[in-house]
Amino acid sequence: MTRTRRVIVCLDADDDRVVKGVQFRALRPIGDPAEMAARYERAGADEIVLLDISASAEGRETRWDTVRRTAEQLFIPLTFGGGVRSVDDVGRALRAGADKVAVNTAAVTRPAVISEAAAWFGAQCIVASIDARRDESAPSGWRVVIHGGRTETPLDVAEWARECVDSGAGEILLTSIDCDGGRSGYDLALTRTVASLVTVPVVASGGAGSADHVCAVLCDGGADAALVAGIVHDGVVTVGSIKAAMAARGLPVRGEIIRGAA
Amino acid sequence: MIRATILDYGAGNLHSLAKALAMPDVSVHITTDPLSAIDTEVLILPGVGAFTGAAGCLAPARTAIRRALTDGLPCLAICLGMQLLFDASEEGPGAGLGFLAGRVRRLKAALVPHMGWNTLEEPADPLVTGGALETAYYAHSYVCPPADPGVTTAWTMVDGDRFPAIVRRERTVGVQFHPEKSSAPGVSFIHRFLADVAGPRTEVS
Repeated sequence: MTRTRRVIVCLDADDDRVVKGVQFRALRPIGDPAEMAARYERAGADEIVLLDISASAEGRETRWDTVRRTAEQLFIPLTFGGGVRSVDDVGRALRAGADKVAVNTAAVTRPAVISEAAAWFGAQCIVASIDARRDESAPSGWRVVIHGGRTETPLDVAEWARECVDSGAGEILLTSIDCDGGRSGYDLALTRTVASLVTVPVVASGGAGSADHVCAVLCDGGADAALVAGIVHDGVVTVGSIKAAMAARGLPVRGEIIRGAA
Repeated sequence: MIRATILDYGAGNLHSLAKALAMPDVSVHITTDPLSAIDTEVLILPGVGAFTGAAGCLAPARTAIRRALTDGLPCLAICLGMQLLFDASEEGPGAGLGFLAGRVRRLKAALVPHMGWNTLEEPADPLVTGGALETAYYAHSYVCPPADPGVTTAWTMVDGDRFPAIVRRERTVGVQFHPEKSSAPGVSFIHRFLADVAGPRTEVS
């Protein structure tokens, strides 16, 4: 047998509530993170990603409590990201109950964060979160953006992904800012470009509108896992129906789920 | 009441593990002191961190822990914890417990770490036979080839590299996967371990 391909449900949290936005804007609250995470585990999600996207300073401390409450409900892996600035923050997130920690802006401003965190906590729990925007002037065609998409950087996405992996990141969470929230499919070219360059799993994010889009990014995009958010929150598809579509395309998925979905 | 003690190497999340162990007749303790960790009825070596750091944490109690396991202290060793049962690791310097002979080596796969759900093959271990645990969650870059192949009771494979999913010696069970992250079937695995492997001794004591 081989490793199964993962469907990961993302919860964007703002001040202890799950919210949904389009291209990082226009947020609306849709539920409680701990309740939603537990529901998605029962529905067959392979992992949960909890991203603190709160821009406000007062959200900084409540987030550890949000991680703690969410982790309390789960017996599947939980990745936390959002405002992780230092190795100490990585440790705090892990102690609060996260299994993996996504580092985004901090890795750009201080790349040693990834290598230091990987050396102490192990590469398997350090996720390099990369937000990519199409830019024809970038060598690969995509530029790294930070601060939740608000700030451009001079970094090329492909070069930066390779550097993150060389520094010790055990996984790449790759978000297309252009496709995020559009529901017209993942950026397959972006995912393929990065996945072909690195030897760690790439999680594709941004643009899922259907189970077929998930299958496409796993089959044609070279992603090891696919992140979904809005389409499952809104009930456009269920985790079970995505898994069933994957199995129909010949992608290996968790056995229990196949029977559960049948 | 069964006393279960998790040794905390200071490098990760122990919440799910403590929660999975917390059954009505089990008292769960977490300690950072490796010597006091073996003053227990069930020792848990958790699965988060890097080999060298964790080996350093174990160092003061290395001989004492090995003797306790040899004398039959029930132990569940998860992922990195399983790797620490062996002599040494390619991951970095530091001595493992040497309870199982062998050197931990890097996984030979297209994508490393092996991150995600994978099947258990040729399950001979009573803890997983009969479909009790078919698919489990893995997150690791290194694997444990034992010098004595007889200690392996289930296997897993990634990209053609086959390695032990479960090893057993005395009342120590080492698992490369994370049962505490393998949803309901994984939690049931931990409960079966407590009942079947750890249970009989505590009835006597």
